[in-house]
Parts: sequence; C-alpha cells; structure tokens
Amino acid sequence: MSIDRTIKLILPLAFAAGLVTQASAQTIKIGVNQPLTGPFAASGTYVVNGAKIAADEINAKGGVLGKKIELVIEDNKSNPTEAAAVAEKLITGDKVPVMMGAWGSSLTLAVMPKLMEYKVPMVVETSSSGKITTSGNPYIFRISPPSAIEAEAFKPMLPKLGIKKADFLVINNDWGRGASADFGKVLKDSGVSVGLVEIMDQSAQDMTAQLSKIKASDADTLIVTTAVEQLTLVLKQAHALGLKKQIITTGASQNPDQLIEQAGVAANNSMHLTTFLPWLPEDTPNPDATKYFISEWKKRGFNFAGTTESFRGYDGIRTIVAGIEKAGKAEPAAITEALWHVEVKGLNGTVKFAKVGPAGKESAQSTPNVYLVKIVDGKVTHPKL
Amino acid sequence: MKRLFPWLVVLAFASIPLWLHDPYLLNACITTGIFIIAAMSLNLLLGYTGQLSLGHVAFFGIGAYASALTSLGLDVELIGGFRVVHEPWPVWMGFVLGVVIAGIFGYLVGKLSFRVRGAYFVIVTISFAEVVRLVALNWVELTQGPLALTSIPPFTFGLPGLGYVDLYGKVENFYLVLGVGVICQLVISRLTKSRVGRAMVALKENESLAVSVGIDVTRYLILAAVISAGIAGAAGSLYAHYLRIIDPDVFMFLYTVTMVIMVITGGKGTLAGPIVGGLIFGFIPVIARSFATPELQWILYGALMILIVFVLPQGIVPAIEKWFGVTDDKSATLEPVKP
Amino acid sequence: MDQFLQHIVNMFILGGTYALLGIGLTLIFGIMRVVNFAHGELYTFGAYFVYLASALLGMNFFVSLVIAIVFGCALGAAIEFILLRPIRSADIDTTMLVMIGAMIVMQNTEQYVWGGVAKSVNTPFGESALVLGPISVSWLRIFVFVAALALIAGSYLLINRTKLGKAMRATFQDRDTASLMGVNIQFIYMATFALGSSLAAAAGALLGPVYVISPQMGNLASLKAFAIVILGGLGSIGGATIGGFILAFAEEIGAGYISSGYRDAMGFLIIILVLMFKPTGLFARAERIG
Repeated sequence: MSIDRTIKLILPLAFAAGLVTQASAQTIKIGVNQPLTGPFAASGTYVVNGAKIAADEINAKGGVLGKKIELVIEDNKSNPTEAAAVAEKLITGDKVPVMMGAWGSSLTLAVMPKLMEYKVPMVVETSSSGKITTSGNPYIFRISPPSAIEAEAFKPMLPKLGIKKADFLVINNDWGRGASADFGKVLKDSGVSVGLVEIMDQSAQDMTAQLSKIKASDADTLIVTTAVEQLTLVLKQAHALGLKKQIITTGASQNPDQLIEQAGVAANNSMHLTTFLPWLPEDTPNPDATKYFISEWKKRGFNFAGTTESFRGYDGIRTIVAGIEKAGKAEPAAITEALWHVEVKGLNGTVKFAKVGPAGKESAQSTPNVYLVKIVDGKVTHPKL
Repeated sequence: MKRLFPWLVVLAFASIPLWLHDPYLLNACITTGIFIIAAMSLNLLLGYTGQLSLGHVAFFGIGAYASALTSLGLDVELIGGFRVVHEPWPVWMGFVLGVVIAGIFGYLVGKLSFRVRGAYFVIVTISFAEVVRLVALNWVELTQGPLALTSIPPFTFGLPGLGYVDLYGKVENFYLVLGVGVICQLVISRLTKSRVGRAMVALKENESLAVSVGIDVTRYLILAAVISAGIAGAAGSLYAHYLRIIDPDVFMFLYTVTMVIMVITGGKGTLAGPIVGGLIFGFIPVIARSFATPELQWILYGALMILIVFVLPQGIVPAIEKWFGVTDDKSATLEPVKP
Repeated sequence: MDQFLQHIVNMFILGGTYALLGIGLTLIFGIMRVVNFAHGELYTFGAYFVYLASALLGMNFFVSLVIAIVFGCALGAAIEFILLRPIRSADIDTTMLVMIGAMIVMQNTEQYVWGGVAKSVNTPFGESALVLGPISVSWLRIFVFVAALALIAGSYLLINRTKLGKAMRATFQDRDTASLMGVNIQFIYMATFALGSSLAAAAGALLGPVYVISPQMGNLASLKAFAIVILGGLGSIGGATIGGFILAFAEEIGAGYISSGYRDAMGFLIIILVLMFKPTGLFARAERIG
C-alpha cells in the first residue's frame, strides 16, 4: 500500500532528474552547498548572493570554455546530515564537477567523506576549522583562513596594540575553541599572557555571567570570537557592565556595520579582524574589483553589511572558474589538478594554493590578507598599525 | 496470508537497490531507514507504555558516540588523574557496545523518571537529552566536542581467513540497515505479543488497575526503557558508521521531533506505524526540495503534520486498518483481565 | 566579592523575565495539559511585533509594548480556537505534535517574512547604565525588571482575585465539577491559552530590545520555560516565579564560578535533581493554582 505509493512517487522523479540533466548540457554546472534556512541562514544567503554576482559577471563576458556557467544552489539547512545529503545530490543527481561550500565547519566536515567517495573537488569559502585541511582530503581547496593563519597575521600587530594580558570569550564550537587555542599560542609566543578563557553556548543570549567574571580580571584586552548576533549582545552587555578592557574580535567574518547599527554606542572603540575592507576600497589589493563588487551589490539592493561575507562567494566562484579554464574541461579530476596551479586576483588578495596536511594526501590552503579595523564614532576605520 | 504480509514488505524493501540506482535517493533511503529504526524504538516506549520520551535522541546519540569511540580508540583523563586509554576495536564490537551503553542509560533514565509521570516525565527526558548534548559539546577530550569525530571506520564484515568486506558503498549499507531494522522489528514484535507486552499495554490503559492485579509496573516500564534505548543506540551506531562523522549536533532536538512525528502520524502502538510515518516524513523533505523554497519546505512539513493529526488522530495505520475492516493482532487491544 | 554582587544583580534582572515565561506556560500546561511547544513562538512574536511597531512604524516604544501584548493575546486565542479546540479529546502527545507543527510553521514564516538577519530595537533608554560602585546595570534592564514584576503581580491578582481567575482555578482542580457548577469550560480554555500567550509575548516584547530579535530566539526560551514550570510545580504562579529566579541563579553562579560552557545545562541539571527528590516540583500544590 504505502510502498506502492512511494515507488510511484520516486520513479517519475528519478526520470525527471535524468531528463533535466540532459537538457542543460549546454552549461557548466557549479554546485553551491550553503545554509539557507536555520541559524546560519543569513550568512549562507550572503555567500550565495556574492556567488551570483560572480556568475553573472563571468557569463556576461562569455562564460568559460565557450559555455555559460550555471550555479546549482541547494540549502543544507544548517545541519550536517543535510549538508552531506546535499553534496550527494549535487554530485550524483546534478552531476556537478566541482562544488563550493558548505559555510560552517561542521557542515563542511560532514561533506568531506562524499568528496573522497566521488573524487569531486570543493572550494571551501568560509569554514575555519583546522581539521578541514589536516584530515588528508586532497579534494579540499580552502580560500578562507583557519584561525592559525589569522593568528599568525595578528602577531605583528600585538606590540602596537600594547597588549600585556588577554582574556578570551569564545563561542562553543570548533571555530571558537580553535580560535582560543591558536591565538593563545601566538600570544604566548610573543610574551603576552593568557588569562581567562570563557565559553558561550551557540544559542546563548545572556553573557553577563561570563562578562562579570572577565570584568573582575586583571587583563587589559578581551578577545572575542563568535557570530555577529551574539557579538552584538556581548558588546551591549559589556558596555552595560562597564567593562573597560579593549575588545578585539576575530573570526574574519565580522560584520562591523551590523554591530554599529545594532549595538550603537556599545560598538565604539572595538576592533575587528576582517579579511575584506568594503568600506575602504583603496586599501584593498584590487581597488577596481572591490568597487565593482560593491556597486553591483548595492545595485541589487542587498544589505551592505553582508559584503564582509558575500565577497567569499564571489572569490570562490571566480577561483572555481579559473580552475575550469585551466583544466580545459568540466571534469572533476582535471579541475582538481588544475586548481593547484591557479592564481586568481581575488577581492581579498591573490588566491594561490599551498599544500597542507599529511604527506601524500595534502589539502590546499590559500593565504588571504587579514586586516584590523576599528569602530570610531560609529564609523569603520582602518588604523595604520 | 496475513502472516506473510510483513515478509512480503521486507522483500519489497530488499528489492529497492536492484531497480533504484540514483545514489542520492539511495542515500535518502538509508538515512530514512536509520531514523525509522529509531522511531520504532520510540514507539515501543510511547505506543506500548504510553510514556512520552522527548529525550530519545539522547540514546541515539549515545549509541553513535559509543560506537564511534570504540572503533576509533580513546585517551582521556578522568577526575583524580586517572588516564583511560582504549585501543581501537572492530566496528561490530562498537555496535554492540553502542547498544549496551545506550541500554544502560535507558535503565538509569527509566529508574529515575518513572517516579514521575505524564508531563513531568516529558520534561525530565528533555532535560536529560540537553545535558547529554552539553556534555558531548564540552567534554572535548573525550568527544572532540564541536570539532567532531571524523574518519569513523565503516562497518566491516567477514571472517578471519575468508577476508573482510568494508561497507563503503550505498547498496551494502542499505542492506545492513534493512537487516538491523528487520531484527529490531522482530524483537519488538515478540516483546509486544508476549506476556511482557500485554503487561505494558495494561499499564498504558489503566495503571492503577494494572497495579491492583499485581503487575509490577515499574519493572516493566524499565524493561521497555532499556530495550527502547538499546534499539535507539543501534540506530545511532549505524548512523555514525554510515555518515562517518558525528558531532554534538547529533543530539539536536530536531531529531527527536522527527522520530516523534514518524511515530504519531504513522500510528503509535502499532507495529507498522513508525515505518509508514517514517517513509512519509523521511521522504517529504527529499521530494519538497525539488519544487519549494527552503522556508516553504519547512512550512509544508509542519502543515502536513498538523493535517494528519487532525484528520487521522490515531495515526495512519489504524485508520487504514479500520478502513479495510482488519484489526491488528490482539496484543494492541486490551484483553479482559481475568479475576 | 564585587563579582558576586554583580552576579546577584544579574540574577534578579534575568529572573524576572524568566518568571514571566514560566508563568504563562505553567497556566497552559497546568490547566489545559497541553505541552505547548509554540510558547517560544509567541515570545518571538512579541519581540517582532515591538520591532514592527516601534522601529518600522515609528510608534512610541511603550505603546508598542502594550500593543504587542494585546496582539499576543489575540494570537493565542486564535491558536486555541483553530488548532486546539478541534482536538480537545486527543492524547497529550497528539496535541503536543500539533503544537510542534505550529511552531515549525510560525518559525519559518517569521524567517521568510523578516529574513534571518537579527534585528534590534532602539529604546528611549539607549545604552546608558546605572552604576553603583562596582555594580553596573543598564537602565533598560531595570525597566524590564520592573515591568516584569508588574505583570507577575497582575497575573497573580487575576488568578486569585477575579471571577475569571476563580473559574480557572476551579477548572484546574476538577474540570467536570466546575462544568457542572456552570463554568464555561470552552471559554476558560481559550482565556487560559490567551493569557499564557500574552505573558509569553510580553516577555518577548520586553526582552527583544535587550537582546536581538531572530527567528530562532524562541527555541531556547521554550526549553527554559519548561524547566521553570517543572521547578516550580505545575499550575503554581508563585512556584513559576521562584523557579524563574532559581534558574537565573543557577545560570549566573554556574557560569560565573563553575564553567561557562555548561551554563545552560545548569537549569536542566537542577530539574533532574529536583525531580529525583520531589517529583511534583518544589511548590506544587496538586489541588490549587495561584
């Protein structure tokens, strides 16, 4: 009874899927695996919109290898099981030769076994967990910095900021914990002591307990790693408690505009590590490209604050297309090989991959620029350090 | 003929990989199958003893972690400076341990929560699941916390001398899940048709009456809890070795909700209920993905839930049975209590 | 010592709003025996409504709060009428499932309408804080605390000093007898759900500006509300109030002195402990509410 019904539903769908893939042999497909619903929906949507700008730009110039590119976008619902299922669908159903995804580290980690199984490369645009590039998966090409690279870039800024002792307040996931570990190491190597390491749960809204504890400590700086919503709350609550330490946020997907808008006065004098400077195109490695991207973004009516995340979608797609170009054909193995040799002038710097991870099964990691910005009187500034 | 029907269903399921080749859909079948097993375990508790456990995902997750850690090996320091080191064991042992450890937790929760009933039991089970999730998240040394347990080995079957087979492929995993599912269903079926099962139903229908005839209520509840937890742990183990990566997200409340939906819409207290409910709610997201926007998919899901409950409050299977004038085996109905 | 005092102050402020959440749910749970998973969604609704009224429509902040509560009440009544009344005779888990369905629909509708980016509401208080020596509290939070206490007092008076409240207590105690005595049970159920929902919406309206507003904010609120209800005992307003403060205390002290990662677990651990020793909750008087 119910079995028959299920069969009758699945068969036609399977056929339809086959037909659809036949019909679009005229385009080159790129899979996009992002969270469009669930807690990370806002960020995933930004990345997808940035990707679309890149795709439209490339298609306007004729596409790649004589064909237009087509983004096949699927929602992984901010859920690792779904991320893996989506990867499966994109690879086996839509037959994409390459993917970009999956935003969050645990989402990307869930997809990784599928990449090994089907030997399809994926450009990782946002995830920051060290594990992604050290698990021996040669199909991973990451353009976002893991916190180790971010921390290294932060090292030369330390003496200029006058930090003697720092406390940490991080989100309780691999991103936050990884950051406290990597930054802690860099601090210690530079002679700076590490004080408290406090944690906040992903969905926590009240951090007054942790902040009260930090307020009473003798550190001069507080380093915070978490997403922008929680960060807004941290800044507001820190301000209300009268916390006097200097606050630096890491994570490179910070969103100072949203902080200014929502935390108001509480955001002033806070500093943030970012990988993009949409407010100051002249300070970016490719000012013209930056200006183009931002004007296009505004033209489409998107929230300006999203540019700190969406540029990754843009750079990711352009990197993939460069790989397809170099490979000469839209096939996973060729693209994987070709990506090792690309050099793309991204919005954030040059994308060029180096080998990391266990020998023989290295993953690829590019080293993006890292900037420190400071919010002064409700505006984002780029202090010269 | 009636006896044969379930076996025909099993054969039909078994034939799926022979004509369904799309890996994406096969993947959906496997994950749905795993959740159906978990739903069956919840049905044992909810449908036959009437106790609603909203923390069931805890047993699922405990089974997953126990099985994964057994097969990966671990090295932790306990309070007092004790170091516990464990070498990796074969995956099937991980499966067994997953079932056993989940069962032990089932026993503990059972003992604890059966002093309370109804609404309170619901809350205690939710609390338990949340605490387990937070432990998995924070005890990083043991569980890797949010960094996730990766590179979990897949199931291996074979005999020394004859060689081993690693279950990487979809088809093999499908049959594994089907096999485990059939075994669990048999266990549940035997249990509910036995004296123990009748005692549990008596408990659900009228507890004070059951007690007054001398049925040891708590003992049977705990037994149900242990078996239910063990089966959920089995499902968790399958999940861990199929997905090959688990993180504390495995304890998401959403998964409990999924199991509950499958059981109640299918028809709690019936043997076929969780399977029917599971097939529907396991495949709706898969099908909806192709024509609905992400939020709309969820809205449809929620609306469908409400609709089924409104139209068929007892669930789909009992409604179908009534329609065809066929009643299920006697164990689901109350037998007159003999003086 | 300073840190401890700050924690205590934090605890009071937090406890007031937790209490609001708990009271709303304990009434619904206690009188109607509905496992109301949509409770958190009413909380979210209240918050978004204040955003709509004050940030988008430019209305006065305090007026927006009041309107949010009124609309929360109406929404609660509507939910009761449409979803709960038809399945009045169903089992507790069936009604629970319907509430879960409602939660999924509401949450995703909110996501669809407002998008996933968090919203914030500006209040007349700004970010300024009251500083008393080593202790610092924002004015907004003080206002929220006072408002919460007022609402709690109001609920208490409603339940214990009005005719409607009497009817509710009678229904809680013995539904059939109450019905025989002339109480309109259908109306009482609707009123109970509406009241509980308006309290949840109030909590959301008050806390939305304190935190940020996002579609998922209701999930944690729901869970904590259930914890408070259990701590305080089903149907007991006083119990829910005290339960709210106990939960806030456990979270503040737990996070401050034991481990911040386990902060949210504190509440749940307490529940398990309480139920082990006192299965009906700390303050449940099985026969009465109020």
